[in-house]
Amino acid sequence: MLAGFFSRKDDTAPLAIGEAEYTVIDTELTGLDLKKDSIVSIGAVRMKGARIDIGASFYQLIHPSSGMDHKNILIHGITPSEVEQKPAIDAVLDELSAFCGDSVIVGHFVSLDINFINKELKRTGRKNMKNAAVDTCKIYEWIKSNEGPFSRHYTARRDELDLFSIAREYSISFNEGHNALSDAFITAQLFQRFLSSLPGSGVKSIRDLLKIGKA
Amino acid sequence: MTVKEVKDFLSNIQPFQELDDATLGNIAGGVIVEFYPKDTLILQQDGPPSDFLRIIKKGGVKVFIRPDVNEEVVIDYRSEGDTFGLLSLIRGDRSRANVKAVEDTICYLVTKETIQGLLDGNAAFSEYFLKSFLNKYIDKTFSEMHSKSLLYGGGDKLLFTTPVGELASRTAVTAPNEISIKDAAEVMSKRKISSLVLVDQDNLPAGIVTDRDLRDKVVSKGLNVAEPISSIMSVPLMTTEARDYCFEALLKMIRYNIHHLLVIDDGKLRGILTNHDLMMLQGTSPISVVRDIETRQNIEDLVPVSKKINRIVNLLLKEGAKAGNITRIISEINDRLVRKILEIAERKFGKPPVDYCFIVFGSEGRKEQTFKTDQDNAIIYEDPKSPGDGKKAEEYFKGFSDFVKEALVACGFPNCPAGYMASNPKWRQPLKIWKDYFSKWINTPTPDSLLFSLIFFDFRPVHGDIKLADKLRAYLNKTLKNQNVFFARMAGTIMNNRPPLGFFKSFIVEKGGVHKDEFNLKFRGIGPIVDIARLFALERGLSETSTLERLRSLKDKHPIVMELGEEIEQAFEFISLLRIHHQIALMGKSLEPDNFINPNNLSGLEKKSLKESFQLILNIQEAITELYRPGMVNQ
Repeated sequence: MLAGFFSRKDDTAPLAIGEAEYTVIDTELTGLDLKKDSIVSIGAVRMKGARIDIGASFYQLIHPSSGMDHKNILIHGITPSEVEQKPAIDAVLDELSAFCGDSVIVGHFVSLDINFINKELKRTGRKNMKNAAVDTCKIYEWIKSNEGPFSRHYTARRDELDLFSIAREYSISFNEGHNALSDAFITAQLFQRFLSSLPGSGVKSIRDLLKIGKA
Repeated sequence: MTVKEVKDFLSNIQPFQELDDATLGNIAGGVIVEFYPKDTLILQQDGPPSDFLRIIKKGGVKVFIRPDVNEEVVIDYRSEGDTFGLLSLIRGDRSRANVKAVEDTICYLVTKETIQGLLDGNAAFSEYFLKSFLNKYIDKTFSEMHSKSLLYGGGDKLLFTTPVGELASRTAVTAPNEISIKDAAEVMSKRKISSLVLVDQDNLPAGIVTDRDLRDKVVSKGLNVAEPISSIMSVPLMTTEARDYCFEALLKMIRYNIHHLLVIDDGKLRGILTNHDLMMLQGTSPISVVRDIETRQNIEDLVPVSKKINRIVNLLLKEGAKAGNITRIISEINDRLVRKILEIAERKFGKPPVDYCFIVFGSEGRKEQTFKTDQDNAIIYEDPKSPGDGKKAEEYFKGFSDFVKEALVACGFPNCPAGYMASNPKWRQPLKIWKDYFSKWINTPTPDSLLFSLIFFDFRPVHGDIKLADKLRAYLNKTLKNQNVFFARMAGTIMNNRPPLGFFKSFIVEKGGVHKDEFNLKFRGIGPIVDIARLFALERGLSETSTLERLRSLKDKHPIVMELGEEIEQAFEFISLLRIHHQIALMGKSLEPDNFINPNNLSGLEKKSLKESFQLILNIQEAITELYRPGMVNQ
């Protein structure tokens, strides 16, 4: 259903995955309903190949266009009063797209984040994101199904596929915070691990990467 | 892993903790994170220079160099909070060592510009790096140090305690800067100096000319020597304050790739410091001890020289030498000392009536000595032609070997409590008696004969007629052929000494006594590897006696070594180095060096490596049990 976003994918195809530019992105939302809910914060970090550039990060709290319910406040820890003085998403969108540039978007279940961003882009009369995008969860599932003699029988339970469980499996240390920026950093480190092992499994170019992990 | 987390991490490690909050924040913001799976080669010796200072966030790396294709010298293991890649970063020419991830490793990368800024602007920061890095890369060029073997070096501590002014005794020779190149060269050759300082009308230094300038800018370019010297002199002048410590001067030389610095005292030119001066400062090197030994002519004069040998171990360790090289160098020096004593004895007692060979065995025979150990030596002499000759030889070697024994004691080698010395008549015999000893030990299965085999079969010649030792070795190898019962007994002793690793991979330590919670690293770690290498080497008829040489030679001869040779070598190196470090630490506290290690005092990486080494030994012991089981049953 997301195929329409990626008109650029053929341009980026021959690029090696170790050479490409990436933006690892995460959003916190008021809820999961694309119609009713909206973005409370966006965190993103740039990678050049497998190098995470700590300084090149993006973080913005956003005054959501929809109400915040209590359950989600508990998850992301952002209270209504914190975002009251923050800009509305309209003011943040251009900055975000400038930050992303032409890079490949990376995220855990990233189509959800992209859907919300595109909703806002559309609402404010802008065009959808055109960047190629890959989902670290899909890459993880591909790696699992590709390794070991029992891999064919591998089926993860949904609850084992969340970012923190996978990060733990790769011994990535983190504070379980649900802050969009720190989650983006965790995702970036996970993606970094993938980038080091994927060429050995034959995934060498962005074209290959999209084949196994396109969001 | 946000900027804040990076900053927090940096604020807890040296030398970043010296920096103020704002500076740290800036550094953290510019950090790049890289991940290296285990076994990734991060930097390559002689490869491109490192473009970042890498700080280990998690994991560990091995820093090592390859002086030649078959040799690997491990300089250091670094783990969380340690850094690498500084020197090639500063000089920007090439990487000096290989750096390999020994486990999955995450590094924070700090750019060259950032580090350069910090080194220039922050004294505490630069001092830290100078000390920690120059300790390991002290020599003026890295390759030189290692190609000339580790006999050079040491004395680096002086670099941090000696002010430049104390060293720069050489006064700077000056000349007016308007003289010609030819005139300047004449002054230099007349005064036998390698550099000349040019001064202006006010007698202030304006530039410097060195031998290298004459070579590079004049001779090779075919420049007219009538040109003024000012056309080729180096400006600006690099200076160092007389009160600066020598390591600061050394760093300047390294950074700007120059060999001369002007020493300024109280605003005035005081003298010139060359890299040669710094090399000389490092003075107490193994090579100087060797030279010292060669010049001595009597035992009394040898005693003080021999005392320096223990210090050398310390220096070599600081140089980052690995255990195998340290023991090789120490054995080489000890050999020279023993030879010198024998030469003095020969002068004292006159020419021996028959040719003889002085042999050493035990750890000395294996070239695995560190600190001075008990004497283990013997004399083989030529079979006498007549009973009369035999009598003469007995008489001669009696006085001779007593003298040698006492001289060795004076030089710090205590008597062997078991009497394995040439001064014991049993161990100074003609070749044919030695052959009888050897066959008897091999053919009669008593505990004593097995013990003698383990000790004496590691013999090697040190002085005299080497052919006698070679003949005995050839005889031994011939006699050992197909002696399966003997080898099975030897294998049996190996099974009796297992490394202290429990079923659940925990260390087994002494439960009580003086060494509670410790284990004996020599007997239970080094010993088993020595025994394994000896068994295989004797069985394959090899002449090598050192454990590492035996293992290397066995690589294409013995299936177990073929498969695990590299690992065994590394385990042996690692355990030996651990032991030397332990002993050095004890001696630093004025305690007697021993072999007892408390595993709780080891770092995580050391524990892990030690467990892996022990496990490897256990695996090989299992394999040996399989190989020799039929013979061992009858033990």
